[in-house]
Amino acid sequence: MQPKVKATNLSYKINEKKLFQNISFELMAGKAIHIQGDNGSGKTTLLKIICGLTNQVKGEIEKKLDKQICFLGHKNALKQYLTVEENLSLLNIINHPDLKQHLIEFGLDKSLDINLSSLSFGQQKKIALLRVFLNDSDLILLDEPCVGLDTQSQNYLCRFLNDELEHRKSILFSSHISLDINSEKLNLSDQV
Amino acid sequence: MNIIKFELLKLRNKSRGWLGPILVFILIMVAFPLTVEISNKDLDQSFFAVLWIAVLLVMMLATEDIFLEDFNDGSLEQFAISDISFPYIISVKIFIYWLLIGVPISIIGSLFCLGFTNSGNLAINIFPILLITSYIFINVFSFGNALSLTKGSVLGTLVTLPLLLPLLIVLGKAVISINLNLNYLGFVALLLGVLSIIIFLIPLIISYIIRAHLE
Amino acid sequence: MYQVDRAYSYIFYVSLVLYLVSIFWGLFVTPEDFVQGNSYRIIYLHVPASFISQSLYIAMAIASAIFLIWKVKLSAYLVRSIAPIGAITTFIALISGSIWGIPTWGTWWVWDARIVSTLILFIMYLGLISLHDSFSNHEKADKFLSILVLVGSVNIPIIKMSVEWWSTLHQPASITISDKPAIDLVMLYPLFGSIVGFAGIVACLVILSSKLQILRRERNKSWIKNYV
Repeated sequence: MQPKVKATNLSYKINEKKLFQNISFELMAGKAIHIQGDNGSGKTTLLKIICGLTNQVKGEIEKKLDKQICFLGHKNALKQYLTVEENLSLLNIINHPDLKQHLIEFGLDKSLDINLSSLSFGQQKKIALLRVFLNDSDLILLDEPCVGLDTQSQNYLCRFLNDELEHRKSILFSSHISLDINSEKLNLSDQV
Repeated sequence: MNIIKFELLKLRNKSRGWLGPILVFILIMVAFPLTVEISNKDLDQSFFAVLWIAVLLVMMLATEDIFLEDFNDGSLEQFAISDISFPYIISVKIFIYWLLIGVPISIIGSLFCLGFTNSGNLAINIFPILLITSYIFINVFSFGNALSLTKGSVLGTLVTLPLLLPLLIVLGKAVISINLNLNYLGFVALLLGVLSIIIFLIPLIISYIIRAHLE
Repeated sequence: MYQVDRAYSYIFYVSLVLYLVSIFWGLFVTPEDFVQGNSYRIIYLHVPASFISQSLYIAMAIASAIFLIWKVKLSAYLVRSIAPIGAITTFIALISGSIWGIPTWGTWWVWDARIVSTLILFIMYLGLISLHDSFSNHEKADKFLSILVLVGSVNIPIIKMSVEWWSTLHQPASITISDKPAIDLVMLYPLFGSIVGFAGIVACLVILSSKLQILRRERNKSWIKNYV
């Protein structure tokens, strides 16, 4: 079976400073990789390289994907001046049959017509996560998905991601705390 | 389709983005006769000078926020990794801005032209030129704003305005030919030629620049 | 690097001598112009400066293309180091043109296509410098600078052709590659010499300034430490 993402000897330099060197990994369908590392060890950069946003890289990266990547970074791509409902319709997930259930689980089902700017940081993060929940891509990239989430929602996220692994999706996520997801560990700080 | 819906919903809720430039345009056109003597018979001579500069300035204002907001909240990041081609998304964005700002300004500009010069012929002839010119301007200023994405629009304007100055000379010549009842279609053809090159090249260049910004 | 150092000091002195000789020749040996009298002699500064100011932009455009296509870092340094020199030569062309304008046209400035387009070139050079300086990330700045130089190069043919396309006060170029020169050979030789001399001096300045660029940008690399 072919890996969804295969990275060989990835290195990245920024302003002549080496971030990481010779990172190699293979990500199969139905598997997850937990990227760990100290602050500034290049977790976000590694995810951006896999997305294809960042180019300056030595080494090779091969992707065998049928659908587009689902990526959630630090920026949540939501419009502050629109309501929750309008934001969801911008993300094209307003008519998704599962939306209702996720909204109830996150406690957001009654705030659909509220302006996003009056929601808290954690609530906004939950809305952004809805895009991850309702996508149909086969590779999910998450950059610190748990920042600002309460324990209940964290557990819900982990349950959901484990469920997605069952459905043969591949997940790459970076997090400085350990999450209850069946994953291999990739520590960027160790490899330098 | 989704990107068109995206832009329209965004702009519907942010009227200062498109209504603001149009109002500024009207204000400039209303304000300039106040600065010259009212009885001045040559008002229609200076009218076109002010018209082109006003279109230039307003297009510059209009593009100020075209990429910055989407860059800051991460929407551009999402567009860049999506399946839809990135230059296509950018050209649609520019087209919608032109539709909402450039087209109204062309109509209003022609009306002002009718008011100032009392010549219906001139007003009708100037309309297509205004349409094409505003589209060229909005493309070039979008390029400038993409360059100076996080550094404010003054820098973007500073680096792109020199590129547009030769165009202003052409516009001046076109107005003279219309005034003298000469054939001005040559100028329209020239502007259309410039536009048809720009319309393909600029989105490609902008997508390259924005990808560099996203790195 | 050391060979370049020696070669470039030779070029510099040879060009300086050539330029000074040409100017001396142009100022004292050649006869007065029939129409313009003695004032035409400023062409030994004006023509080289305006010629070089446009050539420098073309050089920048070529270097930018090389940088964007083949990712040669050195050509990005070259683009950045040419920009201020181009701005200065354009400024010299504008000022000397103004001074020439007083006796010949009776005014130091006219809104004529050639002069305005040279002014645009000057502003473009300044814009390029400020664009590059506003980014702290040099790699990004190099990329954006090169793109802008390439896009801006559409203005160069317009500047070149402005005298022919629009009927203007400015006289058409005195020397072209294809046609017979419009000025007498007695004046042409020193003019030619002054262009070559000026070009040599500017080339040396470009080399010097790119050396500075390289030293500044690569100061953390080991080979620089060995060199210095």
